[in-house]
Amino acid sequence: MRAQFVLSETWIGLRRNLTMTIAVITTVAISLALFGGGLLINQQVSQMRTYWDERVSLTIYMCTDKSPSKACEENGAATEEERTSIQQDLEALPEVQNVEYVTAKEAWEDFQDRFANNKALVEAAQEGDIPDNFRVQLADPTQYDKVQKTVEGRPGIDSISDDQQVLEQFFSLLDGLKWAALVVAFVQLAAAALLIGNTIRLSAYSRRRETGIMRLVGASNFYIQLPFLLEGAVAGLVGGIFASGFIVAAKFFLLDKIQAWFNFDITLTAGSVLSVIGVSLILGVLLCTVTSFLTLRRYLRV
Amino acid sequence: MRVDLDIPGCDPLYTVDWPRGRYCPERTECPLGPNLREPCDAPVIHFENVTKVYPTQKRPALEDVSIDVGKGEFVFLVGPSGSGKSTFLRLVLKEEKPSRGRVHVAGKDLARLSNWKVPHLRRRIGCVFQDFRLLPNKNVFENVAFALEVIGKPRRFIRKVVPEVVELVGLEGKADRMPDELSGGEQQRVAIARAFVNRPQILLADEPTGNIDPATSIGIMKVLDRINRTGTTVVMATHDAAIVDSMRKRVIELEEGEVVRDQTRGVYGQAY
Repeated sequence: MRAQFVLSETWIGLRRNLTMTIAVITTVAISLALFGGGLLINQQVSQMRTYWDERVSLTIYMCTDKSPSKACEENGAATEEERTSIQQDLEALPEVQNVEYVTAKEAWEDFQDRFANNKALVEAAQEGDIPDNFRVQLADPTQYDKVQKTVEGRPGIDSISDDQQVLEQFFSLLDGLKWAALVVAFVQLAAAALLIGNTIRLSAYSRRRETGIMRLVGASNFYIQLPFLLEGAVAGLVGGIFASGFIVAAKFFLLDKIQAWFNFDITLTAGSVLSVIGVSLILGVLLCTVTSFLTLRRYLRV
Repeated sequence: MRVDLDIPGCDPLYTVDWPRGRYCPERTECPLGPNLREPCDAPVIHFENVTKVYPTQKRPALEDVSIDVGKGEFVFLVGPSGSGKSTFLRLVLKEEKPSRGRVHVAGKDLARLSNWKVPHLRRRIGCVFQDFRLLPNKNVFENVAFALEVIGKPRRFIRKVVPEVVELVGLEGKADRMPDELSGGEQQRVAIARAFVNRPQILLADEPTGNIDPATSIGIMKVLDRINRTGTTVVMATHDAAIVDSMRKRVIELEEGEVVRDQTRGVYGQAY
């Protein structure tokens, strides 16, 4: 009897304020989706960081006949001696873990493999566009500068590129996205809280007859307030469920696409997506219930 | 009058100042269980030098009021508007706190009653108002049952008790009518049934005949009298001189927040 009564009152409240309920659900869904999206990006970035920290390398491009840079024009294509001496010097450095020499042909084949799913890119490139190069694996990625200085300016070297620099740009883009998502999420959450407060207030007002009588005949405060709290909780939960849908969609259609494009073999596990969804759902329900409770304390005198 | 009470099995000797109660030596069991804190017919409502000043007003709504209402009494509370009748009723319900003085209701010191226990106090008090306060979308049965539903009574109990009370107030055969299909007098009977269905110790009625014509009012008074005869204390605030005169019950008159008259078998008074 108790449960049935409370649930039917909750349902009546939600239905009577249908437009407000929809507004609450929408705001909660959007804010939680952004919040969850921020968390997802955060996890993605930190996973990629650890992944790349292990693999970060310098690429030293050697001069070819076609190299347009000044250094190469003066000395012409790199000679065999220049190549070996550079390799020996690099291998002597304690900061260097591994040096690999990649010929133009290998580089081109590798490129074709990597971007096999991007035909236009593969067709536009030709063998020799990527010159012979050294891939230098660093033992400690922070020692990049020191390694670069030892070989910089040596004859036969066209240019040195640092993977980490490229990655950092990408990471800062993702970081920016994350913060934008979180800021918008919190603004939206605040708006959601205000909306919920208002909805519950309206609901309490439209049922003031019932609650007045309940109070008079000695219904407990908990019993009077429970339908309103559940009303908030249900709205929060439904909003959270929609947000979970958005989060899953964002994972499959956005993050996975980005990964496919950049050809990273790190994807977020189902577990981490689930944990983000869990956090969002709990946050949604808590936010709505607590706001309802605070509103009731002001507007439903018991 | 001071009364010593020593009933076997109850709390040991308990003495109270007891201006209006009667000691009943024939009583041998503890009327309120083994932890009896009061004599068997201690006042159910006890006001001791109660003053109530509302924050926005200078003049007190009640000033130094001491009233005792015994178990099973029928009391009229009379006086012009603003004389403090409603404040008295609100203090009994603990909707307001007295500025000074003590209020005891049903053996409880309201100042020491924590807020979360107030609902339990209100379950022992029934309330009837001038404007009936029925739920328009519920029929007679549902309106009365609502009072039991919201305090968590089981469905079987409700099905058994509600028809009895509906009959007691004289609405047999009308249990499935909606409030707007009933006359004012009948609506007030529903409100009384709702107030009484949980068998409260006290029934407070704030101008229950205020919206009802004199002929119908007599019927309402008969219902209240019937309820009073079951042992329920009835406190009724009213302006209706004819009713007060015809009932010949105790009359407490308030004026500007003070008790100016307290008669055991009184009339409304010549002044009005």
